[in-house]
Amino acid sequence: MFSPLMGGLQKTTDYRVVLPFYIYASISFVAGVVLLLLHTDIVNTNYFNPYTLAITHAMALGWGTMIIFGASHQLLPVLVEGKLHSNILAYLTFAFAAVGIPILVYGFYVFNIGWALQTGATLINIAVIFYLINVFVSSFNSKNRNVHTWFIIAATLWLFSTTFFGWLLVFNFSENILPKNSVSYLSIHAHLGLVGWFLLMVIGVGSRLIPMFLISKYTNNKTLWWIFGLINISLISFIIFKTLELSATYFYISIIVAFIGIILFADHCLKAKKVRIRKNVDEQMKTSLLSVLQMMLPLIVLIITLIFLPTKQHDNIILLYGFCILFGWITAIILGMTFKTLPFIVWNKVYHKKAYTGKTPAPKELFSEKIYNTMLITYIVGFVLFIFGIIILNQIILKIAATILLMAALLYVINTSKVLLHKPTKQ
Amino acid sequence: MSVNNIITNDTERCNFALIGLYEVDDPEIGLNVVDLGLIYQLDFDSNEKKIDTQMTLTTQFCPMGESIQSNITQALSNAFPEWQINVNLTFEPPWDFSKISPEGREFLGH
Repeated sequence: MFSPLMGGLQKTTDYRVVLPFYIYASISFVAGVVLLLLHTDIVNTNYFNPYTLAITHAMALGWGTMIIFGASHQLLPVLVEGKLHSNILAYLTFAFAAVGIPILVYGFYVFNIGWALQTGATLINIAVIFYLINVFVSSFNSKNRNVHTWFIIAATLWLFSTTFFGWLLVFNFSENILPKNSVSYLSIHAHLGLVGWFLLMVIGVGSRLIPMFLISKYTNNKTLWWIFGLINISLISFIIFKTLELSATYFYISIIVAFIGIILFADHCLKAKKVRIRKNVDEQMKTSLLSVLQMMLPLIVLIITLIFLPTKQHDNIILLYGFCILFGWITAIILGMTFKTLPFIVWNKVYHKKAYTGKTPAPKELFSEKIYNTMLITYIVGFVLFIFGIIILNQIILKIAATILLMAALLYVINTSKVLLHKPTKQ
Repeated sequence: MSVNNIITNDTERCNFALIGLYEVDDPEIGLNVVDLGLIYQLDFDSNEKKIDTQMTLTTQFCPMGESIQSNITQALSNAFPEWQINVNLTFEPPWDFSKISPEGREFLGH
């Protein structure tokens, strides 16, 4: 009557591989927001300036990428239906990225286009190569490569394209190895990372985790394949249009294609929510669902900019666009998913064989719900206020908003520390 | 024979085993594995002192699966210290809403 499970039970990754990434990312989040607070005047300048580049890379690499590295090492077995190929490669990824990122951010901050940027970029590329090998071997060792696996494989390839292109741009500052100056290629480099790496990875992972945490049986691989195709087509078309220097009208094609992909993903998540078995949706899942809606915000900003604003006003709108991505949906999904994944990792470490006693706390009890809710409110207020500050170019509002965002980052660190320092309850 | 939708060949021993199994929770949901309907079958072999258990998970990709399975084994070992415990995982038939007990459904807000 009951068929035995073929292929064995899901193997979880050792917590020692994963936790350093979470710790590093939380510190980077605070560092990124402190830099934003110190340099709110960047909204009045061209986006190619040392402070904007330093903040962008602290947030994109130190915060977003490091936490995705950590979470994906943990979740890769869940997504590829296999096990992580190598813990050593994961440690090497962490070591090289952890050293390379601050050197790169420092290089941008002081605008040292020599040793600092070159060393930082090289170390980060080595880290990404280790990660790429680990993802590829883990994925191709798995007998069952599903749509989620292909999202991760594609996202990782785009990540390598981003960092390798970034490496070329860094060396192009001092030795002309590319046909044009590095600034001309910045938008391609940025979109390789934001769309190819972050968007594909978040959709690939989110499309499995969101239904799983909602206890929903909803799945639609056909839609997910459509989303996969649309996001990749959007990015590739953007690179082609940009390289051929076509007029802005062509970019609508890329924007609309990406927009359709994101709407399909939002619809996928809402359908999963509709048929969920657990009726009460916790705050962490609400935050994750909020981030899905936030994905549309940068595209709306782009469309408004292209239609209504003259070219001379585009600089601060580009900053608004970048802010809506890095401090918007990327940060929101991390805030939500950290407190869905991290408590499980620590719970598994502490209570792996003690749950049957009925006296162990639930994973959600490892962090403070009150601190989480306060963090969420401060984050949303800070985020909305900062957008308002960019639009009206008001430094006082920007400083207040950045201070509120810093409070949210500190609350995040307090709550993650509470989880990480959790000791087993006495029985 | 069945007890709480669990197929068994020994209702008396099954009822005794359930006392321990009601203490094993799915950590994410916070509901015990019996009310959640994760235990499909409990077979007792009194000659060989062996218990064969068929269980499932809410999803095949559940990262807590290993922990839930080992806690079920431990709960059965506590109830039957001298017995050999086999806990087998199956996803056929897959778990769905219909497997949840009325108490479980109430707990989940239905």
